[in-house]
Amino acid sequence: MNKFLVRSTPDRNKLLGKIYGNKIFLDICFVLLFFLNTGLLSAEVKSNLNADTLNVASVSNAHIIQQPPVYLIVPFILLLLAIATGPLFYKHHWEKHYAKYSIIASIVVAVYYVFFLNEFSGLLKVITEFISFIALLSSLFSASSGILINVDKKSTPIANTVFLLIGAVLANFIGTTGASVLLIRPFIKLNKDRIAPYHIIFFIFIVSNVGGALTPLGDPPLFLGFLSGVPFFWVVQHMWYMWLLALILILIPFYFFDLFNKKTSSKELYSGKIEIKGHRNMIYLLIIIAAVFIDPAVFPWVPDLSPLPFGIREIILFAVVYFSYKSSDQKILIANEFNFEPIKEVAFLFVGIFITMLPAIELVAFEAKAFGDKLNADVFYWATGVISAVLDNTPTYMNFLSAAMGKYNLDIALKAHVQHFVNVDIIYLKAISISAVLFGALTYIGNGPNFMVKSISERAGITMPSFFAYIFKYSLLVLLPVYTIIWLLFFYGRG
Amino acid sequence: MFKTISDTLENKLNGLYYGNRILLPFSCYVLKIIIEDDILMDFSPSSKSIYLNETDSFTEIYFKDFKNLKDTISKYESVKLIAVEKNKDIFQMENHIKLALRVGDNHKLIIEKTDEDILFLE
Repeated sequence: MNKFLVRSTPDRNKLLGKIYGNKIFLDICFVLLFFLNTGLLSAEVKSNLNADTLNVASVSNAHIIQQPPVYLIVPFILLLLAIATGPLFYKHHWEKHYAKYSIIASIVVAVYYVFFLNEFSGLLKVITEFISFIALLSSLFSASSGILINVDKKSTPIANTVFLLIGAVLANFIGTTGASVLLIRPFIKLNKDRIAPYHIIFFIFIVSNVGGALTPLGDPPLFLGFLSGVPFFWVVQHMWYMWLLALILILIPFYFFDLFNKKTSSKELYSGKIEIKGHRNMIYLLIIIAAVFIDPAVFPWVPDLSPLPFGIREIILFAVVYFSYKSSDQKILIANEFNFEPIKEVAFLFVGIFITMLPAIELVAFEAKAFGDKLNADVFYWATGVISAVLDNTPTYMNFLSAAMGKYNLDIALKAHVQHFVNVDIIYLKAISISAVLFGALTYIGNGPNFMVKSISERAGITMPSFFAYIFKYSLLVLLPVYTIIWLLFFYGRG
Repeated sequence: MFKTISDTLENKLNGLYYGNRILLPFSCYVLKIIIEDDILMDFSPSSKSIYLNETDSFTEIYFKDFKNLKDTISKYESVKLIAVEKNKDIFQMENHIKLALRVGDNHKLIIEKTDEDILFLE
């Protein structure tokens, strides 16, 4: 991911630095205040909470929340801060040392849990989730990179709109990362004579973000929700109409942008053919989709390999990474400029995020218990959204899900609690899920594929808008009204 | 020994690279370079990212943001470059040649004309 976060010219970074720094600073202050507040409150509510938690735990015969000290969230905040600022302000240093920062932050938290709290189960659970997460992402990335699509058609506004719509649907099967890897090059080729930055930006809006809101395969936060216990089809059942409305409201301005693009396609003859190379990798993609369901919780005949931190599903997914890479056509990998570096970066950064997030999630649950009545759907929608836009949407989703469950004395670490929660009051989970996915499109750093698409476009020779031009010229103008409409129609005053 | 870009491509001649420096076995006008996702178009002496030196028989380029190209460019990636032969009209778009430079073993720099599968828009 951050391979794609690190490339922007140093001069531009300096120029952007001051203003962007202020924005990041404000967001970080918000998060810090939220957690500091947790620390102040924690002493007061600790005894009650422990009693309540013990009651809940006795019912489910499992995890007892032990409240970590508030300073243990510092590695998490520092890591998120570094991920947001490193590629912009000190990119070469970050590029070289990000893995060390992430590992050190993880070790600090892991050592505290193991040696001071004597708590292994929570740690083992996040490691298990991390392995599932990285297995899915790397297999989708590897399999998609061995496929090359050529579209020999004339570029028209309607052809482009349909292309983006197909990308949005596909994102729900192979993830926003897989769909972005697979489709951005054919989309640029389709528009090679009339390409403009707005083409790429709307691609980021639709295919890299909004499109993936229908299934847990679509976007990492939803997959993590699925791993935590949200039923697979819950997302499509409860979010399809918001997904559809968001797509329509974003595709309409795209169509008119494209209609007024005065550049015309060259007068060459188009065969109208769509050529797909690397068919074997399509089979690998189908195997990945099938493998997601190979879970003892879904099919009881699937062997449970616990206490190992992985299962049959993860073994299949890692096998797909190996075999899809080994059997891919070298010419296709060259055409796709394949590199394992993005997955290596996601792996290192997310192992840090997953482990350092643990105390933050537990503290948020305590916070929600104390402030439960003040947390409503509006707060969940906008807070999840705004933080997802500038930090990573996966930890944001998990933190706010933890907070929402905390309102009902439920523990996100327990699958049974999550499965119970989705039936208690779905408005909160709906608000968190939809905003975590949608708001990732607001900035280049809101979701992993955003920077990847920017990077592929720049590698193709397209000069993309700066960090702020993207926000102020495009995302705020197009997306904010859409997200406000969704909030007014589905969340405002409803809980 | 004056060689053109066409000679180099026809005879499949290689260039060289050492660390962050590449040597192309021809003299040319360089218009645009893409390395990773950096689009480089400022070839003035004050550029912080690149240093370009054209001699009669070769062209050398230093990528100042990188220490070693071998560590940066994978075997499936390339440095992309738009160049014009020294004796050709730089203002005629059909004279603009798109090249892909791939780092090989033993300091070899493989020089190829980009095919239509590789995305490279001017």
